[in-house]
Amino acid sequence: MNLEVLVMFSLLLFSIGLYGVVIRRNLIAVLIGVELMLNAASINFMAFGALHASDPTMGPIFVLFIIGLAAAEVAIALSIVLSVYRQRRAIRVEQLTELKG
Amino acid sequence: MTTFTLVSMAVALLGAMLAVGLSNILYAIFGLGLSLLGVAGVFFALGSPFVAAMQLLIYVGGITVAMVFAVMLSLALGAKPTARPNPWRRLGALIPVGIFAGAVGMGLRSEGLDATVLDVSTAIPIAEMGMALLQEFNLVFETLSVVLLLAIVGAVTIAQRPPEEEA
Repeated sequence: MNLEVLVMFSLLLFSIGLYGVVIRRNLIAVLIGVELMLNAASINFMAFGALHASDPTMGPIFVLFIIGLAAAEVAIALSIVLSVYRQRRAIRVEQLTELKG
Repeated sequence: MTTFTLVSMAVALLGAMLAVGLSNILYAIFGLGLSLLGVAGVFFALGSPFVAAMQLLIYVGGITVAMVFAVMLSLALGAKPTARPNPWRRLGALIPVGIFAGAVGMGLRSEGLDATVLDVSTAIPIAEMGMALLQEFNLVFETLSVVLLLAIVGAVTIAQRPPEEEA
């Protein structure tokens, strides 16, 4: 399997995710973009793990770690979405100005 | 590069575009599920059926469903977007992302990765991965357990109704 095709595929996926994070205003849609970017990173870890690592299990275990962290991140983010919705009946990014950011 | 790999990549990219482009958030989540399915196919083609299965179980089966539930709890699904988005916003987002992708892509091309061919003919045995998780990478395994436990407790705490609302 050609490494360059994999890396370019991962770059495309990451760019699409980044575009989603930049352009969407719904909190859940931003979360979807972040998930796409995490997946692109996982593909890179798998590809270079198969290429370089002395231990062939290293790449897959790192990807499992990423998947677990993504699950934790989604759980926290969705509970924040619910909490925000309860307080202001909306989950648009530009309405969250509590911290004056 | 087999047909299976190419089809998986195409499905992943198509799903990603749907996830980013569709304005109905529920359809966007289904697009994300399609994209994650394609990525699972790529993992399978890279010689790691176990990671592909985990991707299917946790991402496609778990995270996507959790997102659908969050949408059902927080949005009126039939609601139309209130204001027409400014058409220049798409362009304004496309330019920096395009510059990023172009720059990184050209940098990667100059690395000469094209000559490298991965050997993924043999799948990594699951027994070996289990042994590695309990021996060499035990710290990773335990850290992930603690992180997940804290995430569950934190999610429950954040999503809880304030006490005065409960009465």
